[in-house]
This record gives sequence, structure tokens and C-alpha cells, in this order.
Amino acid sequence: MEFSEHIKTANVEDVVLRQPLHPPSRGTLCITGHHLLFSDREEGSSRQVLLLLRNIDAIEKSVENLLGYSGFFSNAGLSERMSGSSGTITIKCKDLRVLQLDIPGMEQCLNIAHSIETLSCLDCVSEMYPFFYRPADLSLQDQWGLSTPEKHYSQMKELCERWRLSSVNRDYSVCPSYPSAVIVPNSIDDSTLKKVAKFRQGGRFPVLCYYHKKNGMVIMRSSQPLMGANRKRCKEDELLLQAVIDGSDKGYIIDTRSSQQAQQARMTGGGFESKSCYSHWKRLHRQMDRGKALQESLIKLVEACGDESNNMDRWLSKLENSKWLSHVQTALSTAGLLAECVERDGHSVLVHGSEGTDSSLLISTLAQLIMDPCCRTLDGFLALLEREWLQAGHPFQQRCARSAYSHARLQQESPVFLLLLDCVWQLWRQFPLALGFSEALLIRLATEVYASDYGTFLCNSDQERCAMGIKDKTHCLFQALLRPGERDFYSNPLYEPTELAIWPSVHPQSLQLWRGFFLRWTQQARHLEEAQEEIRNMLIEWGKLALS
Amino acid sequence: MASPVSVYNSNALDAHIASTPRESLKMELLADVSLLPGEERIIDKDIIYMCHFNGAVKGKVLITNYRLYFKSSDADVTVMLDVPLGAISRVEKMGGASSRGENSYGLDITCKDMRNLKFALKQEGHSRRDIFDLLFRHAFPLSHGLPLFAYVTQEKYAENGWNIYKPVEEFRRQGLPNNKWRITFINKSYDLCDTYPTVLAVPFKSKEEDLRRVAAFRSKGRIPVLSWIHRENQAVIVRCSQPLVGMSGKRNRDDERYLDLIREANDTTKLTIYDARPSVNAVANKATGGGYEGDEYQNAELIFLDIQNIHVMRESLKKLKDIVYPNVEESHWLSSLESTHWLEHVKLVLSGAIQVADKVSSGNSVVVHCSDGWDRTAQLTSLAMLMLDSHYRTLRGFQGLIEKEWISFGHKFASRIGHGDKNHADQDRSPIFVQFIDCVWQMTKQFPTAFEFNEHLLLTILDHLYSCRFGTFLYNCESARDQHEVRSKTVSLWSLVNSKMDIYLNPFYTPESGRVLYPVASMRHLELWVTYYIRWNPRIRQQQQSPVEQRYKELLALRDEYLKKLEQLQLSDSSTSSRLANSPTPNTSSNTSPSQQYTHLHTPF
Repeated sequence: MEFSEHIKTANVEDVVLRQPLHPPSRGTLCITGHHLLFSDREEGSSRQVLLLLRNIDAIEKSVENLLGYSGFFSNAGLSERMSGSSGTITIKCKDLRVLQLDIPGMEQCLNIAHSIETLSCLDCVSEMYPFFYRPADLSLQDQWGLSTPEKHYSQMKELCERWRLSSVNRDYSVCPSYPSAVIVPNSIDDSTLKKVAKFRQGGRFPVLCYYHKKNGMVIMRSSQPLMGANRKRCKEDELLLQAVIDGSDKGYIIDTRSSQQAQQARMTGGGFESKSCYSHWKRLHRQMDRGKALQESLIKLVEACGDESNNMDRWLSKLENSKWLSHVQTALSTAGLLAECVERDGHSVLVHGSEGTDSSLLISTLAQLIMDPCCRTLDGFLALLEREWLQAGHPFQQRCARSAYSHARLQQESPVFLLLLDCVWQLWRQFPLALGFSEALLIRLATEVYASDYGTFLCNSDQERCAMGIKDKTHCLFQALLRPGERDFYSNPLYEPTELAIWPSVHPQSLQLWRGFFLRWTQQARHLEEAQEEIRNMLIEWGKLALS
Repeated sequence: MASPVSVYNSNALDAHIASTPRESLKMELLADVSLLPGEERIIDKDIIYMCHFNGAVKGKVLITNYRLYFKSSDADVTVMLDVPLGAISRVEKMGGASSRGENSYGLDITCKDMRNLKFALKQEGHSRRDIFDLLFRHAFPLSHGLPLFAYVTQEKYAENGWNIYKPVEEFRRQGLPNNKWRITFINKSYDLCDTYPTVLAVPFKSKEEDLRRVAAFRSKGRIPVLSWIHRENQAVIVRCSQPLVGMSGKRNRDDERYLDLIREANDTTKLTIYDARPSVNAVANKATGGGYEGDEYQNAELIFLDIQNIHVMRESLKKLKDIVYPNVEESHWLSSLESTHWLEHVKLVLSGAIQVADKVSSGNSVVVHCSDGWDRTAQLTSLAMLMLDSHYRTLRGFQGLIEKEWISFGHKFASRIGHGDKNHADQDRSPIFVQFIDCVWQMTKQFPTAFEFNEHLLLTILDHLYSCRFGTFLYNCESARDQHEVRSKTVSLWSLVNSKMDIYLNPFYTPESGRVLYPVASMRHLELWVTYYIRWNPRIRQQQQSPVEQRYKELLALRDEYLKKLEQLQLSDSSTSSRLANSPTPNTSSNTSPSQQYTHLHTPF
């Protein structure tokens, strides 16, 4: 491992660290291949701040006197004068924290800045920290993950009559972004699936992701059909969808694009399920912004949240202009529509947009939370995320490479998963008893997805994770979150399971900014965290009494 | 964030209850209305309620001397309305005998609590004349020589709420009188200041004749008097009205000396005067004889808090109503909300109070005034006291705070609300008290464990601010209340509240006596109080209220049991070994566990 070549200065004394919610402190800064470590020198309280370099989204450096001297680096007499100078590095993290380091010595400052810049965006997966993280209380032999497609299938006994577990994708050749096993209609054999895969973008043929026990209806997801300008058809694809609704009169397709967008997609080889070929399916178009639009929305939101310049600052307009809450609204209302089709109307639904790796997952996840009490427990929710995001091939590495502060040119970044967590928080807020997990869990996940000690969110698909040996060489976040001590912290002390669907209100008046995350590093968020903690302890205490 | 505290949404005056179909109850539609003792039926009638959310609903309306009650007769949709007549600000006729269109003839009722009600009647035989006349008469009794319902009701409660606040006891609780502050009864017959209470706390060194001379220099005679004193550092909050400086820049040495006595009382070098107004308004007030403290006040600094006047607040809330009722603005909600400036005003009031609290807790005495010292001043002193003194954050303490800073010090409830008065366009009306309660709500959201009471209490207070069922919010000042024998002839709202306390309690309340609460008054941390301002819209309702309420009830019961057990443990502990008196339960070892805090708990009931 050659991290050392990026580290010219590993240690600096007398650094001043300024961070939110703490007074500035003076101490030693140390940089390693994966971390920035600051140790406080104050007597009595040795405080350390350990920051994953991966967590750093952007840095800004300002070095005093830099311009005046930059041309004379060879001059030997200069280093003396330089040592009297100092620099400041502002570190903006993916967890939205902003830190500032005052570093004595211009050269040291530049070295540190350079190391951070280089090391924070190394993109070789096998060199990332999860491969080096070896805490004493975890073993690599521990179980990895919570759910597998096989387990998911076997848990739903009602399923086996009409659905089977296919391992057509066992070597990931049919669909590189799917897991090795998927659930499909019984009547569709593997060779048909292979043909269908060729007709769907990225090979993402329709697979079952949710079975509604109350009425046997299902949610399927896929990518768009490759109908193209010539309106190609695929008999097998039509057959598969027919098999899905076998026995009932019709199904719905929720296309997460506007109908115009779906039409336009034909020009680039994509398309939609036309009425003439899929006569038993009714298409509903709900335009959901994705990709760049979402990332830009996040950038605007975070900028507005961090703008402390002036307090009478048209905050609400800025919040509105960021459009983040309208993305939340669209996601929740589309998920509501999906759940309505399944739960109220009693129809099966196929969800897709174009690639089927972002918006489709977002709304299928939310719909399951709305309808299925099993998904609302701590374990159930994490298993849902594992199925619907990790196994279903949401490209985490691409989407979460950078966050809101980064100056780098955007590539595949998009905060779809963060949007999901925000939507879940809105549900949590509207139904304070119905979800078994705490806000702290959502905040933890929102942090871990961008920078983590664990291997869970590495790579873009099951296939990649397999190739990298993630399960053998890193620890699993979800398992770690379920350890006894952690489990308490991430559980909702008010939780009371309900069998009922939880229909969220999606009026703008009912949606709130997720302050616990977006304004996390403010005193107020801290107060609320403390209050939550207090309430948790109180309930635990009372609970003990109830048992005694 | 979603504070688990303020989820109570339903309340006694709640309107729409959509429930399961019922068999036609036409005959007995009004049979299940339970009237208050002293409440009398005046008229009932078949009518159509033009519901903004469910469309036209046929049913029956009942008007009593207290309420307007409507119940639908349709079997499939149950709509119920129960509106105290006091909440009505305006009754108008809609359409004429000849107007066309279905349901275009009827009544249009504007309420003070953010809603409008429309009823349609048959267009024949002047069918609305009697109901209009009777409603008009009883909704505005004072304009028709009738008594307010508070004087008619025969309600009886286990507790007498009028005893909740006794000025001398409250001063004693604060540690007064002491060697710097004395209690004076100079105003016992309201001749020093007719809008002040009879009992006042003033600097020990000030003589009665000083007070009279100062009163001459303060608008309406509202001299600087003590509202609150900090137990440790002896810094005080003093309230008053503006000095009568006028265009010529008059001075009054007695007033100057008097303010210096306030400063001297805790030996600080500077007295801070908070003028709640924007500085332009303060200057403009000179033209009408008012003004502010100038440089002649040595050892004092003056800070303007930029809070707008009652007219601006009234217009702001009106704008807010326009975007939430009957239809909620959907497409540009946040910028529409911003353009009402309501949250901005809330923010300024809160941040003013934070400055006051901060100054006092750092040991400096402050004087707070606006123009007359009964609107913005009441908001600032009461909010600052709520931040500084945890006593006011208990259920009873909060009642005392309202009695003290609002009712006894002459917030003009009668003029601001317009009780029983038909003049709906009166420029004196303004939602200053509503705004205060909004600020309190913001604080409860930010500190979910710091308040003993819950959102339901705040909603109840605001509902009865208008209802005229209790004497609590009637009249403008104590002298008027005495004259109308409010305490002997009406019931206090606190009688109702304290006779059924558990529904107003926050299960997560954790008493922390020394803690000063500083809410964050940044716009980023304020929220619109949706469960108050938009509560009439069934579509915006928070979800699944009843399970949450049920759960909280259970938690309260659990909590009570816990506290009881704790007490027993403590009793047995202290009898065997005083050393163990502070260890609450055998199972806790951690210092920060909440049980530790309970060991110092003083249950107020």
C-alpha cells in the first residue's frame, strides 16, 4: 500500500481545530492513509477527533503570504520566514460538518492539504478503509448481511404457488446489476428470462420485489423496455408480464418518467410498454427528477442551510428554491400511488423509469414501508434496504462518491438514497409510533453511505461486491447496528406495531425539512438529540418498572 | 424534527368528524348535544352547511346562548360543528331572496380562530331572518345589552382557578421583598395607574411620591415595576411604558433617578433598556408625546428590538389565514408562507426575549417597554421569564405566568379580541396573545422535555381566549375586572384545566430547576404551527392521532406509577439510611440516567 507517497507531512503540532458545537482547541494533527486524527493537548481532557478522509467532500485552503513567496521555493533562507506564516484549511464533510484547521507553517499546511485532496478521493475500492477496519469486537467470520434472495423467498410461503426462485443470473451474466437469484413467475423459464433481459436496459428484466399477503398482489420492478424508434416488441417480455397478472383483470405500470420523457427515450433505444402490446397493463406516468437535478437540489439546500450570513435571509424562499422538499413530496406521493394500487385497488404493479436503479427503488421501498408492517421494525427495515438497494443494484459507489460541497465536476452522483432516508423520516415524523427504528438510525445511514468503516455500501452491485470479496474482507454495517448496545440506540422507544397501512400526508404543509440531518451541526439539533436520549432513557426506566 | 410532545390535535371544539355511516337520525339529530349548565337553546333549523372540504352537507343547526352546533343528517357523511359564539367575529347575509344558483342564499360567518363557515337556507319566506337576527344578537351580546356567557354559565369545578395566582405569594416565591425591592400597595385603588394591578414591586429606595412623579412621565402612568428577579445574581426584569419625552425632548429627573435605582439594586454598571419597537416607530412616537430614553439616562443603554406593532401583526395573520383557509396554498407554499412574514415576526419576538433572558442571566438588570407596555412588552417579559424560570414551565406555573404578565398587567384582551362586540373591523384588535402562545409552542418543539404541559393546553387556551365561557380573558385590566366582579361572578379557565389535568400533561417532562432555555430563533428552526393554524383542514391533519394520544395516556400512567414507586423507595431509603437517599432505584448506576433527575422532583400535584 503506497499511501505514504501521498503524505509528505504526517504530523503537525500546535494546530488549532475549530468545529461546530465545540470551542476551538489546540493540539496535534496527524494524517494517515485513511484518517485525519486530531489530538487535543488540553490537560485533563484528552479529546480526539478521528475523521475518515473519505468523509471529506471539499477542502479550501488559504495560506497567508503564499503568493508573495510561491516563486522562491528553492531559496534556502525562505523556510525560516515561511515558518512564521500559517495556513488555514477548511474541511467540508459529506456528513455536512465543516471543520477548520489553523496550521502553523505554510509548507506543512500545503502538504496536509495536498494529502487530504489526494487521499480523500482515491477510488480504488480495495484500498478503502473498510478493508483495514478490524475492531476487536467484530470478527470477519460473523454473519454478513441480514437477508438473501433465497431467505426472502422462503419466508413467504404463500409465494411458491405462483412464483419461483430463479438462478438464471447465478454468474451475473444475464443482468450484471441483479443478485444471483431473483423471484419470477413460475410459468416463466430461464431461457425466456434471458430473452426478456435482452429487451430490458441493463438486462434488468421484471422481478418480484414485494408480495402483498392480504390480496396476493405484487410489486415488480425492472428497467425500461428497449422498444426503440422502431417500436420493437418482445413476446417473452409480454408473456412474463401476462404471467404476473395471471388470473386478475389488469395491472398497473408506474413509469417514473413523464410520458413525454418516455416517448423521447425511444430515440435512444429505450421506451415503454405500449397499450397495444400490453393490453392488460395500464401505464401511469409520474415524473420524478433524478440524477443531476437531484444532486443540484441537494447542493442548493445545503448551501441555504449553511448560510449564516444574514438571519433575515429569505430562508423559506431558498428552501423552496432548492426543490428538495418537492422531491420528497413527489417521491412520497408516487409511493402512495403505488401502495394504493396494490393495497386499495388490489392490482399488481410494475415500477420502472429508465435504468430502474434509482427512482424505482425509491418508490418500491417507500410503498413497502407504507403497506407492510414487517418492513417497519429495525431488522425489517435494514433487510428491506439490503434487498431493495444493495441486492437490487443501486450503484452506491457512483451515486455517493461526492456530496453537496464538492467542487469536482459531477459525474454519476445523485443523492437518491439520501432522499429515501428523508422520505422515511417524514413517515417517522407523521407516525411517531409506527416505525421501530429511531431518527438516529436514519442519520447514521445517511453518514455511512458516503463514508464508512464498513463494507456494506461499497461497490455498485452484488457482482462487484462478490468480486472484491467484500463479505470476506470487510465488516457488515447492518450486523453491527443490530448488536445489543447499538440496537437500543437505533430503536424507537415509542414503537407500537400496527397492521394498518400508514398513509403519509404529502401536502407541503405536512412535510418538514429534516433538521436532524440537514441542520445537524447546530446547537438546536443537539438539544433535540439530547431530549430524544432523555426520552429513551425515561421509557427504558419505566419499562423496567413495568416488568418488575 | 418530530417532537413526540405536541401531537395532540383533537380538541373539544373540533369540527369535522368523518365516521362510519349511521342510520338516519334526523329526528334526534340534536338530541345528543350536551349543553353546559346555564346554556339555553335559542333556535334550531334545517340548514345546509357549505363545507369547504365535503361540499354541501344537509343537517340541522342549533344555536344556544353559548354555541353554534351543526350536525349533518346525511347517513354517509357525519359532519359536526361545535363553535362557541365567542369565536365569531362577523356574521353576514349571503345572497338575496332573488339570487340565483343553488345554495346561494344564506349566512356567511367569519371566525376569530382561522375559519369561515357558510350556511345555505331555503330561499322562501325570509327563512334566514330569524336565525340571522338571533345569531347576531347572541354572538355579539355586548353590542345588544346582553351579558357574556361567562356570567350566565352555572359550571362547577372541583378547583377554583381564581386561586392560581396571588401576587404577594408569587413575589414571595421569587424571594421578595428583600433589602433592595419592596412591595407597594400604592395602586390599591388604581389611582396611580388604572391599567396596572394593585400590588407592585419597586426599588426599596424609591418613595411613594417618587412613584407618582415617575407615573406622570410614563405613558398611561405605567411606571417601571419589577416582573422577575434572578435568585442568584439579583438581576431583574422591569416593565413599563414609554417615557413622555415628546417633540421637545422633555426630561424628568425623577424618572432618570428611578431607573438608576433599578440599576443600583444589584450593583451593575449599566442598565439595559429594551425598547421593543423598531427605532423609527420609537422616534415617530415623539410626535404624539411619547418617545424613548435618551443620553440623559446615564448608566443606561437603549436597544431597539424591531418588533412591529399590533396592526402589522394583525395584517400578517390575516395573510396567513388567506393561504391556509379554506384552501391551502400548494404550489408555492414556502414562499407564500414567507410573504406573510408571520414566522419572521415570531422570530423577532423570540429573539428579543432571548436577549432579555441572556442579559438577566449574565447579571444585568433590564427594563422592557414598547409604547404602552401591554402588548410587545408582555410578550417579551413573559417569554424571557419562561426561559429563565422553570417554575413557569410547569402546568400551574404557566397559568400563573399568563395571569401575571398578561392579565394582571393589563394586556387589553377585550380590545384585542373584541369579546362580544360586533365591530369586527376594530383597529384595536390584534393577535398579540396568539403570537405569544405560538412562541411558547416553538419553545416546546425545541425542548420536548422541558415543559410539563402539552400542546393540548395551548390549543385549549387559545380556544377559550375567544369562547367567553370563562372570565379569565375578559376585560382589559384588573380595575375593569374588579368593577365587573369577574372573580366572583365567572369561572376561571384554570378551574376547567386543573380539574382535569392529565390531558394537558407532557409524559416526557423532566424538571430541571436551574436550566435556562435558549431556543434558537433562527428562521431555520421555526416551524409554522400547522396543528393550530391549519387544524380545520381535514386533509392536513396529522395522522393517526388517537393511537398516539392513547399511548401518551398510558405513558403518563406508567410515569405516575414510576414516580410513586420512586417515592416509596426514597421513603424507605431515608428511614434506613440517609446516605442512600439519592439512589433512586436499585438498578441504576449511571449518573446521567433520568431517574437521577427524578430524585429532585417536586411533583406539583
